[in-house]
Amino acid sequence: MSEFLTLGWNVAIPEVDIGDDIFVVQDDNGTLRRVQVKTSTSTVRQNSFSGQFNVPLTQLKNITNIPVHYVFIVRHNNKWTQPVVIRQDYLLDHWQNDKIGSIHENNLSLYFSYSIEKIECSGLDLSKYVSDFSDFPLVED
Amino acid sequence: MRIFAFIENKEMQAIKISVNKQLDGYTFSIAPSIREQIRNWFPNSHPANNIFVSYDTKSDFEVYYGKLETFIYPALLGVDNQSDLNKKINEILFVDTQTGNVLHSHKVTK
Repeated sequence: MSEFLTLGWNVAIPEVDIGDDIFVVQDDNGTLRRVQVKTSTSTVRQNSFSGQFNVPLTQLKNITNIPVHYVFIVRHNNKWTQPVVIRQDYLLDHWQNDKIGSIHENNLSLYFSYSIEKIECSGLDLSKYVSDFSDFPLVED
Repeated sequence: MRIFAFIENKEMQAIKISVNKQLDGYTFSIAPSIREQIRNWFPNSHPANNIFVSYDTKSDFEVYYGKLETFIYPALLGVDNQSDLNKKINEILFVDTQTGNVLHSHKVTK
């Protein structure tokens, strides 16, 4: 949330949880972004670590005119990793066409593998999504 | 029916347009990979992320102008020259995002 505030966007938490974790808003014009934060603890591997996330398929397929931005972070060595920010339509596309993740009980299970060079999921390099706040441009005063 | 988003080095067979039914209307969208392919083919194109049409608008529109989907796909794909687009694709499929069912198909006339 502090990242969005730093960029000049305001942040709101829904009173009732129906799927979205936070709403990120540009106060001056009302531009709204929906954000879903996914967290995981790390599993340490040789020269890397991984994190597992579950995304409900019903939500992922529910493309509306305001798509959800998924923010994936892993707790590793008492620190949070840099956020991997993937917009809903891109994540859906990666699942449908690049076959990332696997389906368990109507959830898309994603295993992110973090190494020094890159972040991968099912062989797909997700490094370009690390701290990708391009849909949240800096709001100038 | 097999739906190809696109096949590298081959002619695209069908473009899939996702249709999501909501409480107040339909959201039509195309996948980012298809948007990218469209931009590669037609650098001056402006494919849209999605288009929302309320149920009221859809029913009113169809009374006067006919099937909405016929008008949605040019706006969504953002390609000025339809004949150029028609050379690249054979069919446009409108697919329900939740069920995967084909709701409407539009055969391209060559």
